[in-house]
Amino acid sequence: MKKSKLSFGLFVAPSLIAFFIVVIIPTISGVLMSFTNWNGIDNNPEFVGLSNYVKVFTLDMVKTNFLTVEFEMPRFVNVFLFTAQFAVVSVLLINFFGFSLALLVTRGLKGSNLLRSIFFIPNLIGGLILGFLWQFIFTKVFNNIGNVLGIEFLKGWLSTTSTGFWGLVILLSWQMSGYMMIIYIAAIQNIPTSLFEAADLDGANFFQKMKNIIMPLVAQAFTVGLFLTLSNSFKLFDQNLALTNGGPYLSTQMLALNIYRTAFMQQDFGQGQAKAVLFLIAVAAITLTQMSISKKKEVEY
Amino acid sequence: MKRVSTLLFFVLALALSVNANSNKEASAKDVVEVNIFQFKVEIAAELDAAARLYESTHPGVKIVIETVGGGDDYGAALRAKNASGNMADIYNIGGPQDVKDWMTMLEDLSDQPWVSSAMDGILSGVTVDNKIYGLPFNMEGYGFAYNKRIFKDAGIDASKIVDFKSLEAAAAALDQKIKSGALADKYPLLEAVFEYAAKETWVTGLHTSNLALSPELGNVIAAADAKTIDFKYADGLKKLLDLQAKYSSSADKPSLLNAVDYSTQVDTGLAIERVAIIQQGNWIYGGVSAVDKEVADNLGFLPMPIVGAKEDSIAVGVPMHWSINSKAEAADKAAAKDFLNWLYTSEAGKDIVVNKFFFIPPLKGYDAYPVKDALGQSIMAFAAQGKTVPWVFMGYPTDWGMSTLGVKIQAYYAGELTWDKVVAESKTEWELSRK
Repeated sequence: MKKSKLSFGLFVAPSLIAFFIVVIIPTISGVLMSFTNWNGIDNNPEFVGLSNYVKVFTLDMVKTNFLTVEFEMPRFVNVFLFTAQFAVVSVLLINFFGFSLALLVTRGLKGSNLLRSIFFIPNLIGGLILGFLWQFIFTKVFNNIGNVLGIEFLKGWLSTTSTGFWGLVILLSWQMSGYMMIIYIAAIQNIPTSLFEAADLDGANFFQKMKNIIMPLVAQAFTVGLFLTLSNSFKLFDQNLALTNGGPYLSTQMLALNIYRTAFMQQDFGQGQAKAVLFLIAVAAITLTQMSISKKKEVEY
Repeated sequence: MKRVSTLLFFVLALALSVNANSNKEASAKDVVEVNIFQFKVEIAAELDAAARLYESTHPGVKIVIETVGGGDDYGAALRAKNASGNMADIYNIGGPQDVKDWMTMLEDLSDQPWVSSAMDGILSGVTVDNKIYGLPFNMEGYGFAYNKRIFKDAGIDASKIVDFKSLEAAAAALDQKIKSGALADKYPLLEAVFEYAAKETWVTGLHTSNLALSPELGNVIAAADAKTIDFKYADGLKKLLDLQAKYSSSADKPSLLNAVDYSTQVDTGLAIERVAIIQQGNWIYGGVSAVDKEVADNLGFLPMPIVGAKEDSIAVGVPMHWSINSKAEAADKAAAKDFLNWLYTSEAGKDIVVNKFFFIPPLKGYDAYPVKDALGQSIMAFAAQGKTVPWVFMGYPTDWGMSTLGVKIQAYYAGELTWDKVVAESKTEWELSRK
């Protein structure tokens, strides 16, 4: 017994040490850094208490139209609201498309395997490259089509807040739907065929099967899918940087980009770190809430 | 027990091999290795070739170059590099703000041979208490780069453009010619006079604004010390912004300028003769020449007039400096100093600086190496007549130019902010960051 305890310890130790070195220790030193005025160079920053957190909510106020009422709020809150709007819309769209594609390619159509690969490919391209690709599509291709066909709507994409917003949504949906599709395919294929046979004998139509068999049994995958899309939407950085870089006038800036700019462009690493701590807490709170809600919907037959 | 001993064996073997590696490194130390971390992507290949050339005549020195491009990306990367404990021996700093930030790691270069041949005043941005901390890369200038052929065919005399009024008149005349179709046969793509990259906040917030703030602040040191600004020439700045919008292809909807980036302005703007004038500097020469050499060779600069200030000038300054890490080992520092000195003062080095890097040299003694490209020559001509204003944007508060003023100019074009508010809010932000 004693021996197995020792080897247990020895086998767990490498990953535990790695986890401590790359996750736990940086998190702790990051939280500590948020209480200092580190400028990114000097190795002896001063301890400044909570003043970085105060700065986040008192400096850099912006006027925003939120739900048609004009507010003045700190930019960080404004950015948070923008990110939240983005997350809600893109979580719905990505999961809708992912699930629809999964249904499409599990119906035994010809060429299903090919279609699966095609839908998944966007996910293999890096976010930065995708961002620049879509920037070209939105600003050049859209513009030219708009010019030729005389459609005003297609011109000047990414030059306004709303086109920047929808540009980001389209980009992320295009990229992540394929990934979600794979998760939903796995879940749909795990449903025992006996259930469908029984439903067929009872004369159930497609929508009844969907409501009573597929949806409840795929709920587990929805938990995972919602979690991944929600946290990815909140943490989005590469695509935001490459597609709009926050423009126009910083109105399409999301949380991660705002933190990056605070730390590396304003060179206020302390305040950037304070924002990152708030960001960590917010994302953790939101995703844990989502997890506990959708866990309750899971069933097993 | 056997498993445990196998595991222990592996751990020991690993530890030994790590040890062996570090021994090998120590024995190879008689070769001095100089690490360079630099930002100018355009010269990366040529700088590498220069390093090989230097190595061939200086045995015992090895030069390793790493390049990370773009203004703000470089600053971030340099900080990351420093934080990783792997700091380079030679790195780049911008102006007074960088000198202040990096002070603890800057080697005093006042005793270097090149100091005596520096152009007048060119070292002011890196001089603190009479000590010099950086070697200027080169001189760069920007103004309204224009296509001489289009001007000629439109019958406009560019030499008559000496103030805002004459510039506006020329733009209006050219606009009229373009719209009437008089130039359509020869320049089928020509659609507007200007193209302005408001998406690039360095173009708006740093470069354009410099013309208005330079006469007010005087020089970069004064800018770095200024607690507040009056923005005396804000109206002149507005006129420049409005002019570039009014005669652009986005005239009906200035908010579209916020989607115009550098490549739209240069590669698919000026280079393909879609527009006749853009606000850019001599660094575009290589890019334009790659698209159409003939267009590139027919470029020149028009002044950027701020009403009420100096109206016949372009802005000339030093974009970056080479500096040496004072915390590096003595042998590395000596080799690093010698390399920089060789690059800028030896005959082989001078040839590379002018003919391979396409730099306008920051030092005297380059008479045998005249600048060859059209835009560089145009800058030399302006400089010879004293028609230049200094760059002061390196002395703006950190990130003020790009993230405050540049962003507010976007909001102005989008109709979200009035000009008065742009000015007032930018002044307040300046004050806040200088508290």
